[in-house]
Amino acid sequence: MNSVSSRTPRFVRLGALLGVAFLALPIIGLLRRVAWSTLWAQLTDVATRDALRISLYASVCATVLALVLGLPLAWCLARMQFAGRRFVRALVLLPMVLPPVVGGVALLGAYGKTNGLLGGVLDSVFGIQLTYSLWGVIIAETFVALPFLVLALEGGLRSIDTKYEESAAVMGATDFTRFIRVTLPLLKPSLVAGLMLAWARALGEFGATITFAGNIQGRTQTAPLAVYTMLESNPEGAYALSFLLVAVSVGVLVGLRDRWIGGGSQ
Amino acid sequence: MISLHGTVAVGEFARRFSLDVDNEIVGVFGANGTGKTSLLRTIAGLCPLSEGELNVNGAIVDAPAEHTFVQPELRRIGMVFQDHSLFPFMTAVDNAAFPLQMLGMKRIAARKLAIEMMEQFGVANVGQQMATTLSGGQSQRVAIVRALIGSPKAVLLDEPLSAIDEESREGVRNHIREHLVRLGVSAIVVSHDRTELDHLCTRIENYTR
Repeated sequence: MNSVSSRTPRFVRLGALLGVAFLALPIIGLLRRVAWSTLWAQLTDVATRDALRISLYASVCATVLALVLGLPLAWCLARMQFAGRRFVRALVLLPMVLPPVVGGVALLGAYGKTNGLLGGVLDSVFGIQLTYSLWGVIIAETFVALPFLVLALEGGLRSIDTKYEESAAVMGATDFTRFIRVTLPLLKPSLVAGLMLAWARALGEFGATITFAGNIQGRTQTAPLAVYTMLESNPEGAYALSFLLVAVSVGVLVGLRDRWIGGGSQ
Repeated sequence: MISLHGTVAVGEFARRFSLDVDNEIVGVFGANGTGKTSLLRTIAGLCPLSEGELNVNGAIVDAPAEHTFVQPELRRIGMVFQDHSLFPFMTAVDNAAFPLQMLGMKRIAARKLAIEMMEQFGVANVGQQMATTLSGGQSQRVAIVRALIGSPKAVLLDEPLSAIDEESREGVRNHIREHLVRLGVSAIVVSHDRTELDHLCTRIENYTR
C-alpha cells in the first residue's frame, strides 16, 4: 500500500495532464499543418536555404564567442572571491530575463552606428558596422546565449573536486596544463550541456536579432525570422521550417537526456 | 632532506610543525585530526606556512617572512594522497605515466615505463582499465607508482597501505622501500597504524593533539 507522501491526489494528476496537453497541443498543431509532400521542396527554397545557412553559421559563431567570453567568466564566478561578484552574476543572468527586444535595443545603444557607445568608433576607426550585418546577428545571439553557457560551466566548475587539480600540481602540471589535462576533462559534461543549450538558444533567437541586425533576406534573416516573414507570404514554407527547428530542438533534448530528462527515473 | 619548522593553519586552528628528515624514511604516527595530512600538504605546497620556514634539499621553498613560496608544480615531490586522487577520466597506466609526461616525456615512452613499474607493484594487468573501475587496493598501488615514477626529490605517503590487503602488504612495502633507497630521497609516511610504520620506516615521530 502506498504511503501518504507517495500518493498523488486526483486533482494533481488532472492538473499535470492539462499541463502536458497544453505543451503538446501546439506541437501537434504544427505537425498537422506541415505539408509533408512538399516538405523537401520548401526546405530547399532559396529564402529558406539562405535563412538556414545564416542561422547555422551565426549560431555556431555565437556559441564559440560565448565560450571564449563565458569560460573565464564562469571560472571567476565559481572560484574567485571578489568585490562585486553578486553584481557580475546578476549582469550575466540579465539577458535571460530581459525581453529579447529590449536586449536588441540595448545592443543598439552600445554598438549602433550613429548613437551607440562603441558603434561610432568601430565604424569610423575600423570600418566595422555591426547593425544590419551578419556580425550583428552573431553579437545578438551571443548576448542571449551567453548566460546559459556561463550557468552550466559555473555549476560544473563548482562541482569539480579540487583534489584532482591539487594532485596534478604536485606532479608538476602548470596552471595551463592542469586546465587542459585535468579541469577540462572533468568539466566535459557541463561544457557539452552548456554548449548545446547556448547553441539552441542562439539558433532560436528572434527579438534581439530583428531589433539589432534587422530582417534582410540573405544577410541577416535567420530561420526564426524567416518563419515569421513567411507566415504571411508562404505559410507552407513557414510550417516546414518550423518543423525543422522543432526537430533540431528535440535533437538537443535527446543530447541532454542524461542530464535533464533521465533525472526523474533514477 | 626536508626541514620544516613553522606554523600552518589547519581549519580554525594553527598547528606548529618541527621536523627534520635527512634522506631517511620517517613515519609520522598519530590519531585523526592531529595534523598529519596537513604536514604533508604543507611540504607539497598545497597549504602555505603562515610562519616559519620549509627547506627541501637545501632550497627554501616556503618562508613567509622572506615572501618565498615555490609553487607545488616546481617542487618535484612525489605524493600518495590518502584517497589516491587518481584521475577518473584516465586509464590506470595513463595515471601512472602522468608525472613522466609532466617532465616532458612522450606519452608512449612514459606509458612503457609506467607499465614496467606497475608490474613490480602487481597492477600491470589492470593498466588499460579506467581508474574508476579499480578496486581500492589496485587504485592505491597505482597511486604509489605515480608518486615514485618521476624520480621525485622527496616522497610523501599518506596512509599508503591502508587499502591493500594483509597478504600483499609486505611485498608492496618492500617495493616502496627499494624505490626510496634507489632514489636516495627523504620520505615521510603518515599513518595511524603504528605497526605499519614500524615495518616501513627508519624513525617514527609521534603526533598527538
